[in-house]
Parts: sequence; structure tokens; C-alpha cells
Amino acid sequence: MSKTKITIAVTGLNNTDNPGPGVPVIRSLKESTEFEVRIIGLVYETLEPGIYMEGLCDKIFQIPYPSAGSDELIDRIEEIHQREPFDVLIPNFDAELFSFMKNEDRLLKSGIHTFLPTIKQFQERDKDKLPEYGEKYGIKVPASINLGSQNQISEIKDKFEYPVMVKGKFYDAYTAYNTEQVKQSFNKVSAKWGLPVIIQEFVKGTEVNVIALGDGQGNTIAAVPMRKQYITDKGKAWGGITLSDDKMLEITRSLIRQTKWKGGMELELIKTVKGEYYLIEINPRIPAWVYLAVGAGQNIPEALVKLALGQEVAPMETYKSGKMFVRYSYDIIVDLEKFETIAMNGEI
Amino acid sequence: MLIEVSLIHNNRNIMKITEEVRISDNGFVFNSRTGDSFNVNPTGLELTKLIAQGHDFDTIKSLFLEKYELDDLTFEKDFYEFVALIKHHQITSQEDPLDFK
Repeated sequence: MSKTKITIAVTGLNNTDNPGPGVPVIRSLKESTEFEVRIIGLVYETLEPGIYMEGLCDKIFQIPYPSAGSDELIDRIEEIHQREPFDVLIPNFDAELFSFMKNEDRLLKSGIHTFLPTIKQFQERDKDKLPEYGEKYGIKVPASINLGSQNQISEIKDKFEYPVMVKGKFYDAYTAYNTEQVKQSFNKVSAKWGLPVIIQEFVKGTEVNVIALGDGQGNTIAAVPMRKQYITDKGKAWGGITLSDDKMLEITRSLIRQTKWKGGMELELIKTVKGEYYLIEINPRIPAWVYLAVGAGQNIPEALVKLALGQEVAPMETYKSGKMFVRYSYDIIVDLEKFETIAMNGEI
Repeated sequence: MLIEVSLIHNNRNIMKITEEVRISDNGFVFNSRTGDSFNVNPTGLELTKLIAQGHDFDTIKSLFLEKYELDDLTFEKDFYEFVALIKHHQITSQEDPLDFK
């Protein structure tokens, strides 16, 4: 069977020690059995490693940060689309998702398909709303309070036992063992991600994750549980292994059924020694370890592209447990001209 | 080569190797539910396999006493210590390690 030719634009080519999912998403798409893909890489920074990886992208364009304004970002996407038309756009950053979700119809009118959560789905899983989310969908979550100012730090000792987790609205999490450490973490997190800063009960256990894909109708198209085996000081998985854990799959399917989740997602859970699962976070996009799911038998980016194009996708119900990924760093030697081109022209 | 552990239910043996555990012939033990892996030495491997095959304590003890120069007390002490350890790592499921008969 000949493969369908398709062009896909992907963001998140920052394969650093805090890796974006762009590069593994592209690798997954290149292994599609149904599509022959042409890749447009969309980058924010001129040193995103994906720009310099040979054979990864066919064309690369720089785009403005969403903080510069949604319209500016979407105008640039449309401009790129006019020059190098693409069929599907896969955004991979939390911070850019809102702009793309808000402009889904506008993009579709231009012929750009996406498959993203709805704004309601996106907003109700915000970290500062996790307790309400857990109650609504019947999932255990750690107790938490939102701090709007440093003055509220004194409230912590009445509500929690130390240690506690200090978390930013979008990223970053620190463990704090006393009030002083909470203050330090509060300052770091609020300076970077703004307010509120979330104080979360520390749940002792093993961190496990599920990558999943919902079709927007309540069906789970793909789900693969994983345990991080090697964690960097930024809390990122540098090695992981797929698990055979029915309870994790049940939690995922129940959540997708109830929320009718549309798009890729990652559930971050803590499994306690008693075998209880606490949801600590939902990432509303494909995570950077997606290629492990492909290796285990579920090509999630390929399925997402088919859903974006309105094609039927049957749920993938099996995968291999005990598949591992081990990440590595690698130095690419780059000629100055390439860096100069992207820096000066905003494209390669 | 990895072998799948077969579970033999025996009224007298209330401990079993959990379904998700795979034991390889070289002593590598992998629990696919937790993602944990362990290395067991040849004696540990022999014990684990005997438990997986559904043998009860008395049978395992007589097999070991016959094969190795070992007294009852030493076997029992080492056996229960090993059993408690693999229970702790969720290799086996059992309410109370001392209930193993």
C-alpha cells in the first residue's frame, strides 16, 4: 500500500535537558506506516537543537512567542502556511496551546488541521484547580492551596505537614521542608511563572505517568503507562520503562470518558506504597517521552494526525510492557552559516 | 531467555509469584507492574522458581536439605528472610510471610 503524502508542522524542537516533545513527535511520524511526511519545524529560539539535526525537518521557520500576542503568532503561522502549505499543526508547548486552541477555527479556515483539547478541558485541569478537578472526576489528588502573596505562607503550617511541594502555575516544582524553603521557592516560582504559587501536600511514593490520546468523544485511542527510571535534577525522565498496570489504564480511560478529552495528554501520578494513585498533574499535550509509546506499539502522533484529518481511528489496546527508553546527549557540529541563516532570516 | 511464571494454586501454599513478574534463567527478575527489576543469585533463583512452581515450604525444605549441606534452622531463617524480601518488592503476593506453609 502506498503511503499518503502529508506535510506536518511541529513545534517544540528544544531537545535540551528540559526537552520539548517536537523531535520525538517527528521521529514517530517518520515511522508512520500510513503517511509519508514532510516536516515543517517551527521554532522560537535559534539554538533549538532540532534545527540542526540532519534529516529531521524539511524546512524550519522561526515564530514569535505567544507572549508577543496571539494574533502575531497566528499571523506568522498563516504566512508560513501560504509559503509552505501544511496539512496538520502539532503544537507541543503548554504556553502556546491557548493561542492555538482559541484560533482553531481560524486555522482550519486556512486549511490547517489541529487536534487540541477544548479551552474548557484545558482550563479545568490547571494546577491551581486540581482539588476541584479530582472531586469532579473521582480521582484522588493531593490537598493544595493557592498562594497569592508571601503573607499567606504562614497558613501552610495549619493545613499541611512538612515537606510540601511548591509549584508554579505552568512549570517548576520544589520540595520544601520548612517555612524558609517555602519562601525561597515561592520567590523563584512566582518570579518566573507569576501567581498563584501552588502549595501541594507531599505524597510519598513512586512517580508514574501515562501518555494517552482521547478522540474527543470519550474514547481512549491510546494509553501507555510508564515509570521514570532515571530523573534529572529538573525532574525530567532520562530513562523510563513501560508498565503493565491495569489500574493506571482504568484511571486514564475513566478520565477521558468523563471529560471527553480531545488530543494528546500525559497524566502524572504518584503511586503510594499502599497501591493508591494520586493525580498530581495533567499535561495537555503529548509528552517528550512519546517515542517510548511508539516503541511499545502505539504510534500516538500518527493516530493524532489521522484524528486531526477527521479519519476514523480504532483504539489501540495493546502495547509491550518492559520496553525502556534511555535518553542521551549528543554534540552536533554546526557551521556558523546555518546559525546565521536562522538568526538573520528566521528560516532555513 | 525470559520465562513466564506459571501460577499453580495450591490450598496449602498461599504465596504466589505475582502475574506480572517475569523471571529469566540468568536470575534477572522484572516486575512489569511496578517497573522494578532485581538480580537474584543462583540460590535465590532456585527458590523463586520453586515458589513459582507452587511447591510448599516442606517440599522446598526437603529439596534444599537433600541438595545442600544445611541444617533445618539455617534454612528456615534464610528462607523466611528471602520470602519477606521478595514480598516487600511485590514479587509475591501474600498476606503474611509467616503464613507460608
